[in-house]
Amino acid sequence: MDSEAEFRRLYQANRVAVHAYLVGRDIGPQPAADLLQDVFLRVWQHLDEVAGMPEDRQRAWIFTVARNLSVDAYRRQHTRAATEQALAHEPARPPAPVSAAVLAAERVAVVGEAIRRLPEQQRVTLVLAAAGELTSAEIAAALGVPAGTVRYRLSLARRSLAEALGHYDDPEEER
Amino acid sequence: MSLDDDLAAWAAAVRLPGAEADAIFRRIIATPVPVPGPVAVPSLAPSWWRDFSAGFAARMIDSTRPARRAA
Repeated sequence: MDSEAEFRRLYQANRVAVHAYLVGRDIGPQPAADLLQDVFLRVWQHLDEVAGMPEDRQRAWIFTVARNLSVDAYRRQHTRAATEQALAHEPARPPAPVSAAVLAAERVAVVGEAIRRLPEQQRVTLVLAAAGELTSAEIAAALGVPAGTVRYRLSLARRSLAEALGHYDDPEEER
Repeated sequence: MSLDDDLAAWAAAVRLPGAEADAIFRRIIATPVPVPGPVAVPSLAPSWWRDFSAGFAARMIDSTRPARRAA
């Protein structure tokens, strides 16, 4: 077996989805990139074992590793965040000039914040679909849940997101 | 702007850049893969049975002797 070619195939087939999953676990962008490396390092170290599996089992194996590593990272991250929050004295920021780029960035931030506020299962499912480029069936196989559950979570997540963006677009709506 | 457009814009912002993904790939394949060797089965030291047999025999012999009375 050409180890590097096999690993490249596994990496290319799964890296976007695994990164999306880690982003969906809400551990921050840099920890997500670092964890992606840790996940695929495990794949590389267990290549003989993983390469011998059927393709759907390979993805499930990789996602199990990603889930286990992200649980540890989540705990570390939240312990650190609590400490930093206790110590932080953020200075007031000067008002930024409003431009189209700023508005677009602000809207992306609003979407990101709305996604962060989703319940974890909905958030992970939505991020796997939106950023991970997976279909409902692929998400179901990766997470080990029925495809119907994935579609239901996606529907709830999209509804919550649409409501959050509705409030952003029309703040008077609720009054 | 539709919800799908918003999600696509957000996804583009959080997606790992290709250059960074390539750098991660290169760092990983530079790591040596552990070569699977023969599985080490924990075993007793070669002298264990000899010591065990000697100790066992000594205790058997001791057990056949009458117990000494306390003075």
